[in-house]
Amino acid sequence: MMYMMYFLLFGLVLGLAAVASNPSPYFAALGLVVVAGIGCGVLIWHGGSFLSLILFLIYLGGMLVVFAYSAALAAEPYPEGWGSWPVLGLMLGYLLGVVSVGMLFSSSMYDESWMVCDEFGEFYFVRGDMEGVATLYSSGGFMLAMGVWVLLVTLFVVLELTRGMSRGTLRAV
Amino acid sequence: MNPYILTILLFAMGLGTTITFASSHWLLAWMGLEINTLAILPLMCQSHHPRAVEATIKYFLTQATAAAMLLFASITNAWITGQWNLEFMSYSLPTTLVTVALALKIGLAPLHAWMPEVLQGLDLTTGLILSTWQKLAPFCLLLQINPSNTSLLLILGLASTLVGGWGGLNQNQLRKILAYSSIAHLGWMILVLQFFPSLTLLTLLMYFVMTFSLFISFKVNNSTTINSLSMSWSKAPIISSMVPFILLSLGGLPPLSGFMPKWLILQELTKQSLAPLATLAALSALLSLYFYLRISYAMTLTMTPNILLNALPWRLPSNQHTLPLAITTSLTICLLPLTPAIITLLTL
Repeated sequence: MMYMMYFLLFGLVLGLAAVASNPSPYFAALGLVVVAGIGCGVLIWHGGSFLSLILFLIYLGGMLVVFAYSAALAAEPYPEGWGSWPVLGLMLGYLLGVVSVGMLFSSSMYDESWMVCDEFGEFYFVRGDMEGVATLYSSGGFMLAMGVWVLLVTLFVVLELTRGMSRGTLRAV
Repeated sequence: MNPYILTILLFAMGLGTTITFASSHWLLAWMGLEINTLAILPLMCQSHHPRAVEATIKYFLTQATAAAMLLFASITNAWITGQWNLEFMSYSLPTTLVTVALALKIGLAPLHAWMPEVLQGLDLTTGLILSTWQKLAPFCLLLQINPSNTSLLLILGLASTLVGGWGGLNQNQLRKILAYSSIAHLGWMILVLQFFPSLTLLTLLMYFVMTFSLFISFKVNNSTTINSLSMSWSKAPIISSMVPFILLSLGGLPPLSGFMPKWLILQELTKQSLAPLATLAALSALLSLYFYLRISYAMTLTMTPNILLNALPWRLPSNQHTLPLAITTSLTICLLPLTPAIITLLTL
């Protein structure tokens, strides 16, 4: 169990370093896919299985797909990945930084354990995340309506920012 | 802009601030701040000019970073203490991180670098909204958290007053001067936050009134540089004669209303045995006063060489709505005798 968590978190740090070190959006988004997948795995280990599935679907399957399409439109003919030395150097630098800061803040390798306990404040007979989603729809109804309204405003903002050929703000594609 | 979209965006800006005002949960406070950021973005790039778009992007990136830092701090606090309430943050790391995130949100030194560049890219009305309305929600949060470290707020405040003074000295673009003036005033507000929060609120509201009148005076003259202000005596002589008073009020000179917050803050700092800090802050106000005087020198106190205008122009009735300008200018000049009443009203 703990080995699984070690593995996941190691992959998370590696993926985050990949996102930070790649100048090309293709490889950075690939790192982001890995990070999101591993994050979903960590979330499952902490008991949020429903939330993890939703995150996977919406984040990877929705937003990242849209990002991949828009990155493909703003195409980079010669993307630089880990094959070129500056990017690899940056990646190794970030990893070194993370490891050194981690060693600075942690007491030793064997004092703390990555064993996960799925615990809750009080005694409940449903999982925390599913209960949370259900609460959003029942007593949190006003906040749900607020969230819906804010999403609509976001839509208007995005449409206003990307309006038309010459009336828009961003570069017309 | 389409009037329906404009209505929705202005409503969303009101909604964001209201949500932050009404919240005691960190997630809700964060949500209000994000709604505010989101709604002002199309207002900022209304003119679709590359400079305005650049200002919008810079604003968005800094505010998103600040909001992410705020969320990180509040989740860390929830992890350590198990509760999400604003007022009960007791550990120093989340509280410090929240203070720094809110300092980035409002533009305190040393996190102020985005402010002059963003304000420079906007037209005066949007810059006014940015300088006034967008400061309300973060200040509401700053007023409610109990600070972890005394010196952090004092360092932020003193650095802001000094940076606001020195930064504005070599500028001839009015919006950059207004940005540095904003930074300096925010510094004064933060200095007294942990000792007497009502004075922070008082300084904030006084700053709103003073900067509103200055922004609108510049807008009536349609000028964004000091040079173009020099002919305002022929366009709007009454405004030209009142602007030096507004500027001196911003500089904090008695008997104008801008003296009120500075006076009370210096008194409170002295009572808290921080007299050297009070002296430094008062001296930094001199720096700001210099560039306020420079603007009034160019605008009112001298007549720059130009074609003779006093014989020619048709004084046509203006279509500008100047009633708010009249009200705020009067408030900027005449409010000092009401100090005790205002303090009583604002006592939190």
